[in-house]
Amino acid sequence: MVLYDSATLGGSCSGSSSSSSSSKPPPLQQRQQTQQDIDGLLAGAGYRVRSSELRKVAQRLERLETAMVNSPADLSQLASDTIHYNPSDLASWVDSLLSEFIQPPTCPSEFIMDPETNQTVVSDAWTTAEPHMPQVHQNISYEQQSLNNQLTVDNQLTVVTAMEEDSGIRLVHMLMTCAECVQRGDFSLATSCLEDMQGLLTRVNTVCGIGKVAGHFIDALSRRIFQGIGGGSINGGSAYENEILYHHFYEACPYLKFAHFTANQAILEAFDGHDCVHVVDFNLMHGLQWPALIQALALRPGGPPLLRLTGIGPPSPDGRDSLREIGLRLAELARSVNVRFAFRGVAASRLEDVKPWMLQVNPKESVAVNSIMQLHRLLGSDLNRNSPIETVLSWIRSLNPKIMTVVEQEANHNQPGFLDRFTEALHYYSTMFDSLEACTVQPNKALAEIYIQREIANVVSCEGSARVERHEPLCKWRTRLSGAGFRPLHLGSNAYKQASMLLTLFSAEGYSVEENDGCLTLGWHSRPLIAASAWQAVSDGTVDFPA
Amino acid sequence: RVVPLNTWVLISNFKLAYNLQRRPDGTFNRDLSEFLDRRVPANINPVDGVFSFDHVDGATGLLNRVYQPSSLNEAQWGMVDLEKPLSTTEIVPVIVFFHGGSFTHSSANSAIYDTFCRRLVSLCKAVVVSVNYRRSPEHRYPCAYDDGWAALKWVKSRTWLQSGKDSNVHVYLAGDSSGGNIAHHVAVRAAEADVEVLGNILLHPMFGGQKRTESEKRLDGKYFVTLHDRDWYWRAYLPDGEDRDHPACNPFGPRGRSLEGLKFPKSLVVVAGLDLIQDWQLAYVEGLKKSGQEVKLLFLEKATIGFYFLPNNNHFYCLMEEIKNFVNPNC
Repeated sequence: MVLYDSATLGGSCSGSSSSSSSSKPPPLQQRQQTQQDIDGLLAGAGYRVRSSELRKVAQRLERLETAMVNSPADLSQLASDTIHYNPSDLASWVDSLLSEFIQPPTCPSEFIMDPETNQTVVSDAWTTAEPHMPQVHQNISYEQQSLNNQLTVDNQLTVVTAMEEDSGIRLVHMLMTCAECVQRGDFSLATSCLEDMQGLLTRVNTVCGIGKVAGHFIDALSRRIFQGIGGGSINGGSAYENEILYHHFYEACPYLKFAHFTANQAILEAFDGHDCVHVVDFNLMHGLQWPALIQALALRPGGPPLLRLTGIGPPSPDGRDSLREIGLRLAELARSVNVRFAFRGVAASRLEDVKPWMLQVNPKESVAVNSIMQLHRLLGSDLNRNSPIETVLSWIRSLNPKIMTVVEQEANHNQPGFLDRFTEALHYYSTMFDSLEACTVQPNKALAEIYIQREIANVVSCEGSARVERHEPLCKWRTRLSGAGFRPLHLGSNAYKQASMLLTLFSAEGYSVEENDGCLTLGWHSRPLIAASAWQAVSDGTVDFPA
Repeated sequence: RVVPLNTWVLISNFKLAYNLQRRPDGTFNRDLSEFLDRRVPANINPVDGVFSFDHVDGATGLLNRVYQPSSLNEAQWGMVDLEKPLSTTEIVPVIVFFHGGSFTHSSANSAIYDTFCRRLVSLCKAVVVSVNYRRSPEHRYPCAYDDGWAALKWVKSRTWLQSGKDSNVHVYLAGDSSGGNIAHHVAVRAAEADVEVLGNILLHPMFGGQKRTESEKRLDGKYFVTLHDRDWYWRAYLPDGEDRDHPACNPFGPRGRSLEGLKFPKSLVVVAGLDLIQDWQLAYVEGLKKSGQEVKLLFLEKATIGFYFLPNNNHFYCLMEEIKNFVNPNC
């Protein structure tokens, strides 16, 4: 490709007219090499860009546009005050402009984590004016993950991260504003916020990072505003669907595996020395938790006990008895390892519909009650009767279980104020989506995302009995369970060590197990996302049998 | 991306640079604009078979740039004979070209337009005269049309641009974006003054109107251009207080006029399918038809604005072929 040369007569190739003619030109070979990489067509338009740098320049242009869109002050004023570099050197020109826009004097993006309290401290500029903003973990973790996964070349990496930073912060800002409007009941302003956010979403990467999470929250807000708070299709998924999504969530990230493992350890220890044991599982799903326990019991010194498993789950509408099917498979496994095993399925749409007599607990057996993310569903209060949580905790206690294993989302998603709940959820699910980036297996990852998306939709767009995802943090459960007559069982440093080890073997870096006063939490970087604890009924001297 | 990466970089760069130059109060940062615009000098020596030289128009003081195919006789390179016609036997079309830039940006010696005109000469076997009309907001309507008319008269009166057995200057008017708009209005003036123009080539010409059309709403902001910037440029070009139904902007609108009965040149109107103002361009085509004028529409469905700046896509070659056939009807 012959470069059209404007500076010299005779048609020799010396590049753009901006190059100095007084200096000695570089050796011919070197010059030709450099020339060969310059995009010939752009050169004809007066711009020198290396072909190899085209993509980078494109990304920086996108970034510049985003920065210009976000720029609060008068754009043209800023433009006038800027020192412009050689416009022909497009890459440098764009970069020099970027440096003007990315750190403008009124940059609103300062968030600091207080290391002691683990709370976000908002910088002074925002304390009075703006609602409390969650720290967006995206920037740090995305970069780290990218380094681990080697997703992109270094140059592109920082560009994409920073691009997410600007639009991400703007999106978070707008989400908070929208939620605040919803709380105030100003739905027309909320609707226009939604439109703005939809527009901003088109300029943001929605495959990962803040764009993806924001997309789900925008959807959830949209549902709430336009479809009301009854839940609708996203929450009414069939039991079969829910099981599939749950299974993929189980595979895509370690939270459920951690829950099962930790609970099984505790149950195993509690059953030590007992010959007749009965596990009551509040949500059987595909029974993923139990093969490991069955095998552990098979291998215990002194031989396995007689194991009864009662699995609670929703009824199957199509005549299938899915509970029984799972039970049969588990029975098959138990038989293969010589564990005497009996299964019973209890079909109930809601946990509060289960009555203790359905479980047919034998007074001679040791009972373990296992609740993986089920107790929070009982926190919706029905003014007509006793709160479901109290009812259920009361009959659990009446069974006098050897152990009750409780795993719950470590989040405060049951606050009465919508904005507080929204803020907390944004924080929580951003972190969870971050952690999900470590998973690359499909369709596990995509379906796991849908699973999480449904939770988000329930937290944000539902109220009353439709809102079942009423997550509460460990400290609140401690109070509640102690008040209901339970005392905590220490999970033990053994459990902690084993959980940590399993994590390093099977999961990406970034996950962290922490010990919290006898309980274990699993989280992403420093943010715990799921908490496992174990409990025992406080003995009051009497033995209570169900009526 | 619907365009090649280097095209995307080029047009996005323009978009962002232009954003910096327009001020919300309607003024324009001309100094910054001139600084950022990439310019190239003329070159009397042929490069790829085309040479160019500038001529200063005495009335406006503006440079018009002439592009010609280089002589087959190498001995004549570097010289222009202003005594002799282009040819005494063949007809050599002379395309009077008005560059785009929404009446505000670019010049005849902007690199992108210099390159484009050179390609026009090579691929369409024509002489091109690129007009450096005065721009808004410093010079509003009707300055651009006045300058275009002056350039047309100048071209028509050059003996060294004559060709064919009838020793005539065989003129076509062409332009992209605002240049297309100028070509139309100059052609009207020419028709009224009985000055012969053989054809109009309008490359996604800049037209508009008060109402918002479907394409404007659908494509606003999607492919480099926004309604917001379109409005700005009209406000900068049209007389103060005027709206977009002014006939300069909307020639077949409520304040427009029919061209029925006028000896108006045949038109080739090129519309890019991803241009938000295409509905206005299509309405223009309809307006010409209703006036009984000859018009050919070239609708390039997947093209964005500026597709012709770089010869890296099919639309470019299709366009050049159409223009070549348009200005060389007997070939």
